Amino acid sequence: MSEEVYVVDRVITKPGCAKRFVDAYLAEYAPGARQRGMTLRDVLVSPPIWFDDQVNTITVTWSLPSPQAWWEMTWQGRPDPTVAQWWADVGPWIHDRSRGVAAAAEDVDGLCDV
Amino acid sequence: MFNVTTLVHTEARDAVVAALRSAVHGVPDALIAPTLPGVRNGGDVLMHLGFHDDRDWPRVRARIDEALSTPAVTRVDSVTYRGTLVGPENPDGSVYRALFLRVAPDTPDDVVVRFEADLAALPRYVSTITAWQLSRVEEATGVSDWTHVFSQRFTDLAGLTGPYLMHPIHWAYVDRWFDPECPEYIVRDRVCHSFCALPH
Repeated sequence: MSEEVYVVDRVITKPGCAKRFVDAYLAEYAPGARQRGMTLRDVLVSPPIWFDDQVNTITVTWSLPSPQAWWEMTWQGRPDPTVAQWWADVGPWIHDRSRGVAAAAEDVDGLCDV
Repeated sequence: MFNVTTLVHTEARDAVVAALRSAVHGVPDALIAPTLPGVRNGGDVLMHLGFHDDRDWPRVRARIDEALSTPAVTRVDSVTYRGTLVGPENPDGSVYRALFLRVAPDTPDDVVVRFEADLAALPRYVSTITAWQLSRVEEATGVSDWTHVFSQRFTDLAGLTGPYLMHPIHWAYVDRWFDPECPEYIVRDRVCHSFCALPH
C-alpha cells in the first residue's frame, strides 16, 4: 500500500485571467510549495484554450509521500504570511476555487486504518 | 452542565497545581493537572471544572482568581461553556484534551454550523476518542476571544498523536477550516491545543 496523498487546487479563473494565473502559480507559488515538500504532478487547463471572454478551470495536482509529510508541509506554510498573502493577491483573477486532499482509491482503506 | 476550562502558563507548575486544587476543594467534577509534552500554545497547567448548577461558579471563581494572582502566572486562557460529554456514561481514557479556537467574527452563521458539524464528525472516525464535547463559548479570557472549545478523552497519548492526527478525516477534510491556503479558512487566530493525563 502507498501512503501517497495528493493536494488538488481547482481554480476557476475569471475571463482572460487563466494564463496570468498559471504563470504566477508556477513562478511564484510553486517554488515555495516544493520547498515545503510537495511534488508537482500536473497543471491542467480546461478547456485548453486561453479564453478572453469565459472562465477556465485550472486543476493543479501535487503529491506528498504520506499524511505525515502533508502535516509537515502545512506546518511550514501556516506561519508564513506570504503563502496566504499570495492567494489573496491573485484573488482578483479567481472566480472560485477549492483545495482538496485525495488519495488513490486502493489506498483509502489503508489510510483510514490508523 | 456548566463547564470551565482554563490553561495556565507558568514556570511554577507544581505550586500552581497545588493552589488550584486547594481552590476547587469541594467541586466534584474537577481535573487539574500539568500539561503533557507536545501541547501547542496550551499552557503548563490544565484545569477543567464541571458544575451542575452555574450558581456555584462565582464562589469558586473568586478562589481561583486569587490562586492565579501571582507573578508566577504569566498568562491565563479560560472559557466557560455548557454541555456534556458525548459518549458512554463512564468513558475510558487516560488523556484529556482541549482545543480552544476562535472563528472569525465575519463568518456567516450557516458556515459556522457547517464547521461545527465537521468537527463533530471527527469522533465517528477516530476510534481512540472515547468521549467528546463541542461547545460554543459563553465567556472567554486570554489572548483570543475564543468562540469554541472542543474537548475529548483519548484512550492514551498515542491515540491523540497517532490516529487523531493521521486519519484522513482530519487532514483531508476537517483541517481545511484551519488552513490559510483553503477558501474555507475561518479559524485564523492561533489555537490552543492542550492536553493532560486523566487520573486513574
